[in-house]
Amino acid sequence: MSAVRAVVLEHFRHPRNRGRLDGADASVEGANPLCGDRVRVELRAEQGTIADARFTADACALCVASASLLTERVRGMRLDAVSSVDERWLFASLEGEPPAPRRKCATLPLDTLRRAAASLHPSAQ
Amino acid sequence: MPNAFGLIDPNDPELRDEQAVALATLIGGSGGGSGKKIGAKMIVGRSGRIIGGVTIGGCVDAQVVEAADALMTDGGAGQRLLSISLDDDEAFEIGLTCGGTLDVLLTRVIPSSESDPTVAAHRRALELLEAGEAAVIVTPLDAPAETQTLPASEIPDAGTDSRVFLDRVAPPLTLVIVGAGQIAMTLTRLARELDMRTVVVDGRDRYATAARFPDAGEIRVGMPSEIVAELAPGKNAAVVLVAHDYKYELPVLRQVLRSPVGYIGLLGSRKRGAAVRDLLAAEGFTANELARVHTPIGLDLGGKRPEEVALSILAEVVAVRNGKRP
Repeated sequence: MSAVRAVVLEHFRHPRNRGRLDGADASVEGANPLCGDRVRVELRAEQGTIADARFTADACALCVASASLLTERVRGMRLDAVSSVDERWLFASLEGEPPAPRRKCATLPLDTLRRAAASLHPSAQ
Repeated sequence: MPNAFGLIDPNDPELRDEQAVALATLIGGSGGGSGKKIGAKMIVGRSGRIIGGVTIGGCVDAQVVEAADALMTDGGAGQRLLSISLDDDEAFEIGLTCGGTLDVLLTRVIPSSESDPTVAAHRRALELLEAGEAAVIVTPLDAPAETQTLPASEIPDAGTDSRVFLDRVAPPLTLVIVGAGQIAMTLTRLARELDMRTVVVDGRDRYATAARFPDAGEIRVGMPSEIVAELAPGKNAAVVLVAHDYKYELPVLRQVLRSPVGYIGLLGSRKRGAAVRDLLAAEGFTANELARVHTPIGLDLGGKRPEEVALSILAEVVAVRNGKRP
């Protein structure tokens, strides 16, 4: 079993922050149009900080794991610091860069998270 | 038939031009001769048009058509109860293998008349069905003018002194198809022939299109599990998972395993089905809940082409609905 698969499986089977977020200030949905992954990231902000982050996904294990890791990462983070969470961080957290055809599965939640944050704070994109 | 229920819809082009029709309804019977369910209907038009049927055909059907023709031309009472009784020898003479009895209620109807009690009752039934509600057409056998339709939920339990025929008509089965691939395309085509209402669900708007699914009743694009939750499929619905992708299967199954949906089917091999069940079992779903999933989906017809797989799926849905499969 590869290192990527171990962390992916752990977060796929035990996703953190999965489910709808009541009272969300931002709710953004993203999709990979051909493979069909769908993810929604919801954020609640308090005084420029992400007080809560949750996600909903009908998506593959890699996408779910990515959303799980990302929502964990940005909880408590200032909105203007979200842009520092990038692919490099994500791939490191996944313990390896996914093969090229599967990069989009991992980056879909990142793109969706950034759009959600940017809807609350323009510099978050 | 003018519609899936055999009801008289005055807006139907097939009936619009008929001055009068006779509605034949099978209200009782035993043995051979019919082969149809109680409530089966045939509409015989004054023009000679015949729609539907109350028997399997042949000479018995001919007797019903003759009686219907007579009802329309004779004048007199607008309703007649036709009872046909055949012993085994008589049945054999007219091409049947065994005898039986048949009770057919014949009612003269003016499709263009809004005040015709049958037209009014059928119109009300169609309205209820359109709203997704089962309806009961109540026909007093001694007072046809008092025919009316009630929502099935409003039929009183108490008996009545008069003889009435209660004709329950239920909305068509809703087939929720998750995954907009080739099998799904064929499913919508075949399901239409079976008078099922289809909803195609997918997360990909390039797949779930009207061009690919001209026969679908509805096409929904979005988060499949949320769409299915919103549809809230009940006993009169079947959910078939044909995406062959756990990304939709797992979230949708989480929604429906504890719902009253009448049928759940999952496309895939036994091994694949077991893997999906194992993942859900680890989340706390019970063996009984997981046993509701028919996988491999469909009756084993031995076919591999999308059309053959779709046929096997619908065969199983029908078998389960009719109580022939668990």
